[in-house]
Amino acid sequence: MSTAANDNDDLRYAEYVLGVLDADARAAVAREIETTSEAATAVSLWQRRLIPLAESIDEIVPAPHVWQRIRDALRLDMPARAQSHKGLWNNLPLWHWLGIGAGVVAATLLVVVFLPHLAPRPVAVSAGYMASTIQQDNGVTGWTATMDLKQARMVVVPATPVAFAEGRAPELWLIPPGEKPIAVGMIARDKPTTLALDPALLARLGPTAALAVSVEPIGGSPTGQPTGAVIAKGAISGA
Amino acid sequence: MSVASPAERDELNRLLIRVGSNDQKAFAELYQRTSSRLFGVCVRMLRDRGEAEEVLQETYTTLWRRAAGFDASKASAITWLVALSRNKAIDRLRQRREQVLEDPSKLDEAPDERPTPAADAEISQEHRRLEHCLDELEPQQQTSVREAFFTGATYNELSTRCKVPLGTMKSWIRRALMQLRTCLDQVGVDR
Repeated sequence: MSTAANDNDDLRYAEYVLGVLDADARAAVAREIETTSEAATAVSLWQRRLIPLAESIDEIVPAPHVWQRIRDALRLDMPARAQSHKGLWNNLPLWHWLGIGAGVVAATLLVVVFLPHLAPRPVAVSAGYMASTIQQDNGVTGWTATMDLKQARMVVVPATPVAFAEGRAPELWLIPPGEKPIAVGMIARDKPTTLALDPALLARLGPTAALAVSVEPIGGSPTGQPTGAVIAKGAISGA
Repeated sequence: MSVASPAERDELNRLLIRVGSNDQKAFAELYQRTSSRLFGVCVRMLRDRGEAEEVLQETYTTLWRRAAGFDASKASAITWLVALSRNKAIDRLRQRREQVLEDPSKLDEAPDERPTPAADAEISQEHRRLEHCLDELEPQQQTSVREAFFTGATYNELSTRCKVPLGTMKSWIRRALMQLRTCLDQVGVDR
């Protein structure tokens, strides 16, 4: 038998899953899920009831750089470094030696964990900014790109809105000299786009590299290489 | 990619369990099989590709860290994943809302666009049941539940958008949710 109080709780969990609660009420339910198994179970049940509706949403293939960023953020696919962490982590004498106090351990661990990652970070350019004017074949500037190396981001601003067929959108590529284009990301044709630059991209930015824009499906090139016409290009220079 | 078949669903469950034991290969495969589904959800809710990419990234980094807590007896992997991405997208919308509040006209710009119904063959049994139960609701209840689900809007935003008092919107949706629960639990809720 359900009581009125139970029903009210269950309704809140349903509202949480549907997504109609404001920020505070959402945070309250999220805390309940963490702390009570009844809440967690009830929310799971509502997810099973309502989430199938998402099947009617069209799938969109994300650009390849998203996966690269996830891997970078989690430091995956770096066996050498991962192993050395594990080695340190499991090193009992080190723990004994560190066993002076939790605060000291935490501070030392921070150093231990972060030190190995300092070395490979590209420090190639110290100027701070680079820029590129990405011109269409007729000489008209399509976009301008400014790269903030310290923040590892690029802002791409359209100068002249370019028309695209329905279902097509501009994708930005970095072309290092003598290498294949590397996808930077989808950009907007009519408003500025900010793109994060992963270390692999940052390391290849330079006056010998170029930026190019090609016409791709909305979700980005399905192959990881430009599949449509290249409509604009620009060299990169220090800003 | 279709995740509608029970075999595919079980496969995703197995992958997610392997991710829970830090299996990077399983993680890569799970991403490959599910990311376009989740990205579709994020783009639909956020209507901004850049933000959707950020939320997708957050979703999978959280997934990697929390996969060990996945319990296949409570929900299938794909349900768990879609719910995770929706939660991240809704949290993002709430942050954004504070900016939008200064300019409420922005709220009305969101076009009321219905996702095209997938072909019958691609629809899972669970989805079909849910559609059946949604069809039994009053038209305005059905519309508000769908609008809420696909846009992640709050009660306040929904009442503004549909031009009805807040109390009316709340009672439409609450009654709809209770009716959906009764209807779905009658026909049974499968994983």
